[in-house]
Amino acid sequence: MISRRRFVELGGTLAAASALACDEAPPPLASLLTPASDPVAPPATDDVDLVSHVVGRLSFGPRPRDHAHVRALHADVERAAERYVDTQLAPLGLDDTDVEARLRRYGELEEAAGELYEYKEQVLLASLTSAAILRARYSERQLHAVMVDFWTDHFNIDSAKGDCRWLKAADDRDVIRAHALGSFPAMLRASSLSPAMLWYLDGRVNRYGAPGDRPNENYARELLELHTLGVHGGYTQQDVMEVARALSGWTVRSRREVVFGLGKVEFHPEWHDDGEKHVLGRVIPAGLGSRDLDAVMDLVSLHPSTARHLATKLCRRFIADDPPAAAVGRVASTFASSRGNIASTLRTLFTTPEFTQARRTKLKRPFHFALSALRATDARTDGGPALHEMLRRMGHAPYQHPTPEGYADDEPSWLGTLLWRWNFAAALAGNRIDGTHLDPVALRSTLGGEEGLRAHILCRRATSAEREILAAASDSLPLLLASPAFQRY
Amino acid sequence: MASLGFVTGIAPRDRTLVVIFLRGGADGLTLVAPVADDAYHRARPTLRVTEREGLRLDDVFALHPRLTPLAPLWASGELAIVHSVGSEDATRSHFEAQDLMEHAGTSAGGWLGRFLRLRAIGQPGALSAVAFGTELPAALRGAPSATVLRSLNTFSLGEGAHGMLRALADLYAIEHNALGQSARDTVTALQRLERLASAPRPLAAADYPRDDFGEALRQTAELVRAGVGLEAATIDLGGWDSHFAQQQLLEPAMDRLARGLAAFHRDLGPDMARTTVVVMTEFGRRVAENSALGTDHGRGSVMFALGGGVRGGRVLGGWPGLGPDELEGPGDLPVRTNYRNVLAPILSGMAASDVVSRSFPGFALDPVPLLG
Repeated sequence: MISRRRFVELGGTLAAASALACDEAPPPLASLLTPASDPVAPPATDDVDLVSHVVGRLSFGPRPRDHAHVRALHADVERAAERYVDTQLAPLGLDDTDVEARLRRYGELEEAAGELYEYKEQVLLASLTSAAILRARYSERQLHAVMVDFWTDHFNIDSAKGDCRWLKAADDRDVIRAHALGSFPAMLRASSLSPAMLWYLDGRVNRYGAPGDRPNENYARELLELHTLGVHGGYTQQDVMEVARALSGWTVRSRREVVFGLGKVEFHPEWHDDGEKHVLGRVIPAGLGSRDLDAVMDLVSLHPSTARHLATKLCRRFIADDPPAAAVGRVASTFASSRGNIASTLRTLFTTPEFTQARRTKLKRPFHFALSALRATDARTDGGPALHEMLRRMGHAPYQHPTPEGYADDEPSWLGTLLWRWNFAAALAGNRIDGTHLDPVALRSTLGGEEGLRAHILCRRATSAEREILAAASDSLPLLLASPAFQRY
Repeated sequence: MASLGFVTGIAPRDRTLVVIFLRGGADGLTLVAPVADDAYHRARPTLRVTEREGLRLDDVFALHPRLTPLAPLWASGELAIVHSVGSEDATRSHFEAQDLMEHAGTSAGGWLGRFLRLRAIGQPGALSAVAFGTELPAALRGAPSATVLRSLNTFSLGEGAHGMLRALADLYAIEHNALGQSARDTVTALQRLERLASAPRPLAAADYPRDDFGEALRQTAELVRAGVGLEAATIDLGGWDSHFAQQQLLEPAMDRLARGLAAFHRDLGPDMARTTVVVMTEFGRRVAENSALGTDHGRGSVMFALGGGVRGGRVLGGWPGLGPDELEGPGDLPVRTNYRNVLAPILSGMAASDVVSRSFPGFALDPVPLLG
């Protein structure tokens, strides 16, 4: 039986260990934190430069001073970009007291799984959503926030299903955020025993009471198809059924059944099919009981198909919708050799030439678009309900994707959202979003005027055609945020 | 740059196809139960529809009592059912099965998007194809124009947007790609909806379910009546993945489906003759119920076709029965009829036969005699 406390210990330890293990001391951050009063230099090239590219990929978009600050990390631009990558891969080295202070009002999200039931479900979803927005907007640990976004889709849980309404908050903390840059096998195991996941994919009712009982295959199937091997990863319907048998008996205490220990994950030997299983050509001997789960995790978490599947998804997120095979191969190989260390795997990805070359190949998803607009304009926000509603309209409300594959990460899926993006750009620039405010005068002054503003938001100098269109407008800011260039990263 | 005003020239009396996708794998054996099959009652001791409860359709099948609002449409011969229908995808994975069904093979784009592109009647507009919901369904990928919207009411840039819209049209004019196309569609859609907003409201308010599904059907009817060139609309209805406590899950879902379709039929009145509704799902459920009073992913399920040209009052597709020799894999109702063969006759009422066959590449069509 795994308690929530153990989850936290496990998660915290692994996150710390991975962060320490894979990175030398990060560069001093004083330069990143010192407020500058002078105007900052925005990008000054006709194409998106390396710094804008790397910041754009590893974060939810550059803030007004980011380009200048990262550029100042080293005289050589490539070394400067490398140092930015290094700092982002070691999130614990980045001071995050600002965002931590902003998140303090959402203390309910720190409650143990059982205590979450004390809160209204709508409150928890709103708090979770606000916290995600505030982290993406204000955290210095941007790559961590980006990877949390990635894993939230990979291990998708619809917070509307059953007790996920209460338990997703624990999953977000103990599975996703604890391991986002840590160890994939540890994250997978944590996910398999996450109370919310046991609800979402019906693992909790996968019970074998008497001969003839059929296992509930839901989790087993998604474990193989989505979380690990991938749909063409070489498993069969028989493997799905055998994995389901091996995982039978794990459950979570629910409101209907008990008063005490709500949300507690337990193994019931009497509901476990303890016979021999054949999974992916290997035998799991009879009589292992709860340790069947370990056997399954060992078989799938570092399977070559898992490495390939995850490498493909990571390259799709960071390089292009159609990820180049060479990069996928190198990333998969590091995933395998590092035994699923996520930071090491990403480091390899960020050093591929395909990554460096892939400028503006990706369409921002709506959450990314909205957050990048808030960051680009230095908008203050409470991350509150007005933003939640706009994300919902754009079809990208966090924790609300109904089916297990999570929100899509390709351009065609999001082409229908342009109108809502334009709407958002106009509302933000016009200060018509409750709880969010920007100061266009200060913004232009920080960036040294209109031309600086254009270059900052477009991540390059404006073309002559753009200049002409923007100059004719009464306010260029909504147009810049709604422009085709700002939809991409 | 596309002009801001090309909202004329729409053929207003054109046909509309409405595709309702039951996401999650709806249990065909519950929706349309083979109550005359003893094997059905043995496999579903808890979850079965009894002969007494069901609304008898023919000598094999009965409609689930929660689908009663559809009975008049069946009786009037406007509603046809195809049973043991599905796709060739045997992964039993939601994602894979929906993906294959919506793409109809491995070609790029979806079947409906491909059909609309190949059909290419007149100037495609932003309201030629509307997806109600939050994401463009895979079936509509590749359509010359497709708009995702949750509600017609929110589809506006607000006051003083005209200048912004014109500047945006110019900014996107140099994007000769999908993003640019999408921008041009969006600009056009905004123009059209401004006109719709000033059109008279319908008098007869039909009794739609008060939820996203009912609202999507109501607005589809509004677009059909307004004659803005709506060729296809897609609407998703979720809540069918009944691994656990199936009855509690499916009964409200069936309620919404049946009440929504009946209201749509009533609301459209004579315009139903130029509208066809098809209801589909990615797969059916395992024949035997599981220990959690649910059913796991299976193969064959049902499809419904309603409206213009459909010769209904019939269950088509041939019933294989549920004998042990008939079941597929881990005990699933086999797919006797490929879903393309149900869509094909419906599409053939809207386009030439070569357009229909090219919409389903790599598949030899053998259409179900749905229309006559």
